[in-house]
Amino acid sequence: MRRRPGIGGLQTAAATRDQYRLVGENVARIKTDLMKEQLATFRSQLEDFARKHKNDIRKNPTFRSQFHEMCAKVGVDPLASNKGFWAELLGIGDFYYELGVQIVDICLATRSLNGGLINLQELCNLLCQKRKAARESVTEDDCLRAISKLKVLGSGFEVISVGKKKLVRSVPTELNKDHNEILDMAQGQGYVTVEEVKRRLSWSSGRAIDALETLLEEGLAMIDDGHKDGKRRYWFPCVSFVTTS
Amino acid sequence: MQKLGDFKPPHFFNYPPYFTLQPLKDTQQKQVQLWKELILDYCRTQKIFVIGLEDDFPLFSNSAIERSLSHEARDIFLSGLVSDGRAEWMDKGHKKCLILWLRIQDWADCILRFVKDNGLEDSVMTVEEIRSGIESQGTELHGMDRTVLMRALRMLEQKGKLAMFKGSSADDEGVKFSA
Repeated sequence: MRRRPGIGGLQTAAATRDQYRLVGENVARIKTDLMKEQLATFRSQLEDFARKHKNDIRKNPTFRSQFHEMCAKVGVDPLASNKGFWAELLGIGDFYYELGVQIVDICLATRSLNGGLINLQELCNLLCQKRKAARESVTEDDCLRAISKLKVLGSGFEVISVGKKKLVRSVPTELNKDHNEILDMAQGQGYVTVEEVKRRLSWSSGRAIDALETLLEEGLAMIDDGHKDGKRRYWFPCVSFVTTS
Repeated sequence: MQKLGDFKPPHFFNYPPYFTLQPLKDTQQKQVQLWKELILDYCRTQKIFVIGLEDDFPLFSNSAIERSLSHEARDIFLSGLVSDGRAEWMDKGHKKCLILWLRIQDWADCILRFVKDNGLEDSVMTVEEIRSGIESQGTELHGMDRTVLMRALRMLEQKGKLAMFKGSSADDEGVKFSA
């Protein structure tokens, strides 16, 4: 196109710009379409895969965890909706819902023994025992997923980390930093004494006793006055395995 | 733990705090429940009928974890069983406790079953024979506590299922089962 001076030239330039814009939009649309097509292909392949391996996903925890990872990588959440395609296809929503109900059961049953705080490992063990008949074992990973679903229901379930361990809390008890530190310390031998707490955390008598008594009142600790050294020990069932024999 | 022989105790028996009476009401309730069940279970499997509070009863201490139940704790657990109708104090001082891991009514049913199984209707037997005779072998009646047996027999007597009478020798009581 020849550049022409004057108004004519300006009009031509405008028309040219318009044309470029249209081409540009076209290109963008083509790209989007292409992308949509690729995604559709990918999605249908993923669905095929899921359909084919539905059983494996339900029965094999390692496979299940890898499947989740793969979904996460492409931004798919099979648990996002209980009514969605994925949930219907895999029944995965049901699987975790079931798990959630069993977890609630176990937490309620053990509450009087551990005050509503249970070791994730122990919870998992108890779950596996419960599910032995169905031969569908579960991993801690599965538990965590099920619990996060429970949280959405506002059920007061929460996973807290104390030292190296994960504890599942099923009561509204709020643990403050002092309590956390004591629980952390208790993981060593399963118990602590007032003396130990004072010494290792550099706390005053009052602070140590306060924290321990609160934990006792919440049902998270049990006292033991039976040692021959006469010192009272505070035991924490949630950091040991008290319910499985 | 050799004191318990073949008996496999539940997990809490090896957890030290369970040997101390818990101050928190809910926890203590659970603790008492667990101990009551354990005591009944143990007595049933070992055929123990009487527990002396001050005795060296195997369940009252666990040498592996070096813990023992205080007198108060023992009293509370056994009193719990008494409230449930599964035990009776044999004295006011709570020194001895009769454990009814089968209630008197259950023992009575046992005896009736025994009579039926052995065709003993309308026949006579001594009290001693009921608990140590050949027929009793293999049943729960074998080796049972004489006091408990007498109580069950008297209960059945009141219901007209049998009649008791004194035998020829001093300590030999007899029983005539109804037809």
